[in-house]
Amino acid sequence: MKRVIVLVVLVLIAVVSSVITPLVISIEVPRCLRDLSRYYIINTIKDTASPEAVAAIVWDYRGLDTVYETLVLYLAIVGGLTIFMYTGELARETPVGLTLLSRTATKIITVLISTVSAAIAFHGHLTPGGGFPGGSALAVATMLIIPVFSINTLLEKGVTSTKLVAIRGVSLTGLGLVALLPVIRGLEIVTNQRFYPGYLDGFILSGSISLYNLLEFLAVASGFTAVALYLSIPEEYYKGGDNA
Amino acid sequence: MIITLILLIASSILSIVFVYMAITERDLLKATAFSAGQSICYATILQAMGAADIAMTYVAVSAGLYSAILVFVISKTERFEEVGSE
Repeated sequence: MKRVIVLVVLVLIAVVSSVITPLVISIEVPRCLRDLSRYYIINTIKDTASPEAVAAIVWDYRGLDTVYETLVLYLAIVGGLTIFMYTGELARETPVGLTLLSRTATKIITVLISTVSAAIAFHGHLTPGGGFPGGSALAVATMLIIPVFSINTLLEKGVTSTKLVAIRGVSLTGLGLVALLPVIRGLEIVTNQRFYPGYLDGFILSGSISLYNLLEFLAVASGFTAVALYLSIPEEYYKGGDNA
Repeated sequence: MIITLILLIASSILSIVFVYMAITERDLLKATAFSAGQSICYATILQAMGAADIAMTYVAVSAGLYSAILVFVISKTERFEEVGSE
């Protein structure tokens, strides 16, 4: 009861303050663009062949920042995987999942999430989205499968942590190579349009942006899925108890 | 314009409700669900302000990954918070 009263008081304060605020201070909406945003809006399609200004800034104008950011995430997940490292064999029990209803619902939802994540990642240079949101969305799908169908189902299908870490390593190496390749022709690192083709047979490729998105998608999805697989290993295995 | 403002105010107030419920909830699984609801409210705010890229990443990470990892962590500990631990 006390909880409801506090909640009502909180909501009332929020409603009253949101009504009063526009009366006390005048909220001005900017009517014109700043020079920096005008530059990006006008020149993005010319400089990077990408109609999506955010993806162009992230992977082209400020590309080196993003490469280092990917490196930080790489090191963070490597640290996590080192802590949860388990080299022994998991006991192959018969998969025990949840009820038929939740399993059927999860099957449908997983297909939907995978499709949406692919759309987010592969259209990252055309529409809002990109490699990181797409990869995270795909990792959510596998994180749904683990509790509903049990971890053994994934392992029996051949989705093991070793393979996932390998996919992650390969795609991050590819990402580094895409960033480094322009150096061969004497261009600076993370060059886009002067080295990679912007258009291919009428399709907008946006040069290296679509490549970065694809590789980042694979790296993030496999990295987070590997972490989820390690997290779902029961603690008894680490302690070396009878179940191990 | 007015619809955007109404959406902003409604999502902000709803997020306060979710945050309060998450903090006071003793069942940690329910608290995680409330926290995910708060994330959805914030994503709505970001979308209303026109930051579609951020909204997409926010939904995937904050409502999806964060909640999933919290559920994994709760499965390794107790589901209910102890009474009188305030």
